[in-house]
Formats: sequence, structure tokens, C-alpha cells
Amino acid sequence: MKFLFDFMDKNIAPLFEKGGKFERLYPLFEAGDTFTRTPGDVTKTAPHVRDSIDQKRLMIFVIYALLPCILFGIWNAGNQFNISNHVEDATFITDIIRGSTMVLPIIMVSYMIGGIWEVLFALVRRHEINEGFLVTGMLFPLILPPTLPLWQVAVGVSFGIVIGKEIFGGVGYNILNPALTARAFLFFAYPAQISGDKVWVGTAHTAFDNNVFFGTVAENVDGVTMATPLAIAAAAEKGTDAIEALNASGFTLSNMTLGNISGCIGSTSAVAILLGLVFLLITGIASWRVILSGIIGCVAMGALFNVLPLESAFSNLPFVYHLVMGGFLFGIVFMATDPVSCAATNTGKIIYGFLIGALTVLIRVANPAYPEGAMLAILFMNVMAPLIDHFVVQSHIKKRTAYARALNNA
Amino acid sequence: MAEYKIKKGFDIKVLGKPTTHVEEYARQQIFAIYPSEFEGLKPRLHVKEGESVKRGDVLFNHKKNEKLVFRSPCAGTIKAVNLGARRFPVEILIERAQEEQSVTFDKYTRDSVGQLSREQVVDHLLNTGMWPLIKQRPFNKIADPDTAPKAIFVNAANSAPFQADFSVILKGDEESFQTGINALAKLTDGKIHLCKSAGSDIPDFGNSESHTFSGKHPSGTTSVHINRISPILPNDTVYTLTAQDVILIGKLLVTGELPRTKIIAVAGPAVKEEFRQYYKVEIGANLAPLFEKAIEGEEVRIINGNILWGDKVTSNTCARFYGSEYTILEEDRSRHLMGWTMPGLFQYSSHRVNLSSAMGMSHEWKLGTSMHGSLRAMVVTGWMDKYQPLNIMTDFVVRAALAHDTDEMIQLGILETDPEDFALASFVDPHKTDVCGIIKQGLAEIEEEGI
Repeated sequence: MKFLFDFMDKNIAPLFEKGGKFERLYPLFEAGDTFTRTPGDVTKTAPHVRDSIDQKRLMIFVIYALLPCILFGIWNAGNQFNISNHVEDATFITDIIRGSTMVLPIIMVSYMIGGIWEVLFALVRRHEINEGFLVTGMLFPLILPPTLPLWQVAVGVSFGIVIGKEIFGGVGYNILNPALTARAFLFFAYPAQISGDKVWVGTAHTAFDNNVFFGTVAENVDGVTMATPLAIAAAAEKGTDAIEALNASGFTLSNMTLGNISGCIGSTSAVAILLGLVFLLITGIASWRVILSGIIGCVAMGALFNVLPLESAFSNLPFVYHLVMGGFLFGIVFMATDPVSCAATNTGKIIYGFLIGALTVLIRVANPAYPEGAMLAILFMNVMAPLIDHFVVQSHIKKRTAYARALNNA
Repeated sequence: MAEYKIKKGFDIKVLGKPTTHVEEYARQQIFAIYPSEFEGLKPRLHVKEGESVKRGDVLFNHKKNEKLVFRSPCAGTIKAVNLGARRFPVEILIERAQEEQSVTFDKYTRDSVGQLSREQVVDHLLNTGMWPLIKQRPFNKIADPDTAPKAIFVNAANSAPFQADFSVILKGDEESFQTGINALAKLTDGKIHLCKSAGSDIPDFGNSESHTFSGKHPSGTTSVHINRISPILPNDTVYTLTAQDVILIGKLLVTGELPRTKIIAVAGPAVKEEFRQYYKVEIGANLAPLFEKAIEGEEVRIINGNILWGDKVTSNTCARFYGSEYTILEEDRSRHLMGWTMPGLFQYSSHRVNLSSAMGMSHEWKLGTSMHGSLRAMVVTGWMDKYQPLNIMTDFVVRAALAHDTDEMIQLGILETDPEDFALASFVDPHKTDVCGIIKQGLAEIEEEGI
């Protein structure tokens, strides 16, 4: 190993450094080099010692937090496919295999196409490749239905990276969460595949069917569509019970919590998301303020609709359902906490999270056009975050001036 | 007497604490003075190479304020004037003569100092070249003799790793310290605040008000003291000194000649254990023989200051005008396999992403100078504010400084700060932003534009 590294340092590294043959490709070399080993740079000025934390580690740890969602998503995609296509000899193994063939290509396309943009911009701007992309490239597939055509994945991720992030200057400068920007683009551009009230659970992957790995597809259904819980709840007629409507379609509180229902790859299972949340909180990466106040906001708004004398069945749905339905929980844990697009002040984070929760329920219940409100609520609050911060900072300035004057006059 | 508890802060656990033993340092032949130590100084040299000088002769003064003079710490011949960029004299080396001739000044006693006027004290300190020991806020520069400060802060506290402990330095020099305080009292109509760390056995002194500060670093920094006792408003000026410098001023007044010695602490993981202690050195004396013996490790960094704040100096440095401690660290250029995913047990961190933060907090770490990561775009997360006890929003001050928005910087309270106060922010920042450098730049811009 040491021999290899010495060889790299002596013979390969100079090619990419200033004056080297491949100087323009330095960001690529740097990314690979620091991926294998931490950089050997020393501090130039005070403070002379630094914490051993860096951006790379933080971002990779977010990916680790996503692992439960990814693994569950793979199994669930396969499981849902096998159920809707009536694959009778389906087992856990064939579910996983089927799910992998559905989900992994989406993740790979997201990483490859997104990666190309990321590297391209890094090379042109001559700055180092930012690890933030690793998270964006993984979050985006997880909020897509598993049957989304791959070309749409490519178009979406391109939009998210280029328009959502790079034109502002790259990571740290963007206003919106890039993964959500990408999804919002697909949501409005190709509503047939991702509109939210209907998701596909199974276009038959005929090339793989009928063998020991995939099970026997008895009834090759082309494009099964199913209404999502949110659409059912929203469509429940006045005076009826939304819970009954949900149960009639096979959605119960328990399976929506466990997540073995059709939906986006990573966001169906509240349990998997909570596992990720625990990891994020233990490692201290995500802001608990955003998550906690977001959940409180969601519950408060849900409870408010419960007590308001409204006739719509959806508004009477107990608030617990709002927590587990749709993409809210995934959004508040992994999307709203994106440090770049979320509010930066502590007070601001609480306001920001609360409003995301409240707006999500408001859009769901009061707006008939969009059954899912989490994505729009987060994007809206992304835009509002600097404004919230502005007011928090202004009030801080007033307070600190008052503090200084009081102490001086004392 | 007031007690202050500082709640926010962080103590870096590093190996190499000095013992409180004070050793007399051997007599040296080579002395030096470093004009580069005085920020903003435009020196006009009064001596040339080969000239002989008395102890206390003027070596150079400030072009913009002729009264600000700098005197020779020893008698001998000018061995070399080493020029740096733009022909700035970074170092003036003096070889000690056999026989010492020295310039003398007026002598005072502890009480006769009290009969002087402000002008007399100012003139005396300027004339003897000891005035630069007094700094002023905002901007932490050599104090302007013409503005009377609203208060003077004497820092006898220590909270950064291996900052010299003033209770060690003070022993035997209580009289000089009181004389120094008495002289300083003439400079202001306000109070002199003597700030100590909780638990130190420094007594109270007349003409001053004592305060104790407890809590983790940076509870011992002057900015925190000012912020808690008498925050700086726009147009305010306060003078600040470190406690050892008050002793030097006292000695000057009592003896009528330039103070000869000061006490420095030598510490850090790259110092051999038996050398981690205090030394009584002659001001300006060559420290190379000491470092030669004391250092272990192949490539080390000597810091005039502590691991969080101080300047790099070379191993043949002489004892500087400012500072009471030298910390020595190993230059850590080691690279770790897949550092982004390892449990982080063996890498010191304040953050829970590394296991070391939970398991290794009582362990003393052999820290080096590694960056532990590469530079990334700054993200305003509030993270930098985690250990900031000053009532400022660190991230936003940094952002305003980056945006050259002087108005917002001032509103957010940058005038209360010194780049030193952002050392911990820089330490914890995962994006490896040079926070201190950004703040320094911001302060310079404000100073240039005027408040």
C-alpha cells in the first residue's frame, strides 16, 4: 500500500499539479486522491490545530443515515412489483433482486449524470469537487417513484444540479435544495409519471421475467397505477370518514408507518426514516431544531384542522396520519435540514421548521390541486429562509446594542 | 469584584502542559528585536550594521508617529538588519558587548507614580519605548496616546491550552505590578479592570477592580472580559494589556532602566517533557539554544503564543517583545486511509461524527498542525457560533466580512472582537474556512474607511 502511495505522490501527482500535463484536470485528481487518503496539508496561520472533521466526512455520514431508506426502498420496490404483477413464487430474495433492477439504475443514472455536471463545473471553475453532490445524488432517487423512466431521472438531475445549484455558484451558494428542485421540475414537466396522486408500481420488466431470480410473472400488467394515500384522503367525500377510505384502499396507519406500500423509493417507510434520524441526531449532523419544530408544526396544523368545523373528510383525518403519509417525514429529516438552503440562525431554524410542517398540512388539506405539500412547502421555505434569518439577525442587533448600552450606563 | 461564568466554550485537550517551575535561562550573546511584531508599523531605522549601541538606545521609530520609539534590549553592536519583502526590516540582530553601557531614565516609586499627570506618564512610556505594550480596542493595535480610554483591561487570566499562568509569573514581582497599575491609572478616567481566571491565587491590587472568569476557553480572552464588563460601543476606546506587560512597565518605572527579563512558558507535545516549564529569559535574548535542547520531532512548528492563537516563529528566534508563551507542535503531514469513513477514534475532534469526541475527552492528545481536510465553500450553518461566548452571531459576522459590508459588520459587533476570538470557530469549521483571516481583513477595511 505504502509503495503504491509513494508511487502516486512521486509520479502521478506532479502531472496534475501546477505546470503538469493535466493541470486542468486537477479537481478530478484531488477528489480521487483525498478520497483514498485525507489531505496532508498543514495549517498556514492560527489556529494552528484543527478539528479532524471535514466536509467529506459529514456528507458521507448523511449517506450512511440514508442507508435504511435505500435498503428498504429496494426491497419495497421489488415487493410492490411482485404483488401488483401477481408473482406467486416471489420470495424476499426475488423481491430484493427485482427491486435492485428497478432502483439501482435510477441511483446510478442520478450519480453519473449529476457527477458529470458537477465535475464539468468544477473543472471550468477550477475549484475542488464538492462532496455535497454525493448527498444530492442520493436524495434525488429516493424521492422518485421506482418506475420513473431513466431519461427523466437524467433530465431531472441535470436540472437540479445546473439550475438548482451550479448557476448560483455551486454548493454553499444555492437558494433551493437541489434534489427537491430536480423533483419539482419533473413534477411539473412530466406529471404523468410523478404527479403525486398516481404512482406506477409496475411496468413489467419483461427482459428479466420468469426465471429463478425474479420469479414467475403470471400476469404481465403494463403500467399498474394506484392512487397514493394522500390522493385517496383528499378525494374522500364530504361527511365520510377518510380513515375508512384509506383502509378500503389497503392503507392503514401501520403499513404506512412500516412503509410496505407503493410510493417513492425512499420515503414510504417512517421506520427507516426514523432509523436515519436517530443516526443523524447521534452524530449531530442534522439540526434537531428544524426536525422537531417541523413535526410540531405538522401536528399543530393537523390538529387545528381537526378542531375546525370543516366538512371535508381530509381535514378530520387525525394528525398522526399526516406524519406518516406522503413524503413529509423524509422531507423534514433529510431535505429541510440541508444546511445550505435552511435557515442559519437557531431561532430561524425553529420558525423555518415549524412553517414547513404547517404549510405541508395546509397544502395537503386546503389545496385540491396538489395532494402532496411537503415538497412545495420545503421549497417555499427555502426561499423564505434568508428573510427569516434577516429578521432574526435584526432583532439580535437590537438586543446586543441594548445590552451594551445598559452595561455602559450601569 | 465580580464573578462571571462563561457558559459557551471548548477546551482542547492537548499534551504537553508545562510545570510551574521557573528556570533561569542562560546568559545569551545574541539579541534581536523584530519590527515585524508591531502591526502597522512603518519603521525608520536609526542604526546601521556594525554600529555599536547602548542598552536603551533608539533603534527605530514609527514614521507616522515620530514619538513612538523602539529601544535596544542590550548593549553591543548591530550584527545584522535582515530585510523582508519591500525592504521591511523584519529582524535587527545585536551582538552583546562585554561591558554594558546603558541609558537611564527617571526613577519613581510605587507611590510617587501617583503624582504624575497623564501626559507625563504617556511621555515617559513613549520615550522609553514601552508604550507599544499598551494596545487598544477596537482593532487591537498599539494604543493611540491622545485618546483617553473609557477603561483599561489587564488580562491576568488564561484559558487557551498552555497559556502562561500569571500566578507563576507574578511571584516576587507584586511590587512592580502595583507600580505599573498605578501608572496605568493615570491614563484613564475610568477604571482598571484586572481580569483573572477562577481559582488562581492572584491577590487583589489597589487602583484596580478585580474580576474572575470561570468556564472553558475563551473565558480568558480580553474580548470576553470586555464584553461582559463594559462592552465597546461605537466611538469607545479601551486600552488592553496582558498582566506580564504591566510588570514590565512597573519595573521600568522603579529601576529607571529598561526591564531586563520576562517569564515565558515553553509547552506543547513536541517539547521534551523535562523542558516543559517556565523560563526567566532576558527580553530579546536568543532562544535557539533552548529550543535545540527542548524540541523533539523531525519537523516542528514553534508558535509565539498558544495552539489557537499566535505567530509561527523560526527555531533561532529571540524572545519577542510580545507574548508570554511558546508552544511547539509537530507539523503533521500524515495522510490517513479513507479518513472520511473511519470511526475517528484516533483523530481528535470536538464533533460527534468522530468517536474520539465521546471516548477521548479525558485523554491528552498529541496534536499536530494537520488541516484534516480540504477547503470548501463556507456554509452559514450557525456551527461556528457553537463555542462563541461573545454576544455576536459568528457566522453572520464572517459572512458580512466576506461581503465587505462594513456597516453590517459593525452592527453585528465586529468592533468588540479581535481575530483571536474566532480561533475556535476556525477550529471547528468543517469547511476549513480561514475565519480569523477573514475577520482580520474585515477589521482592516473598517479601520481604513473609518467608523
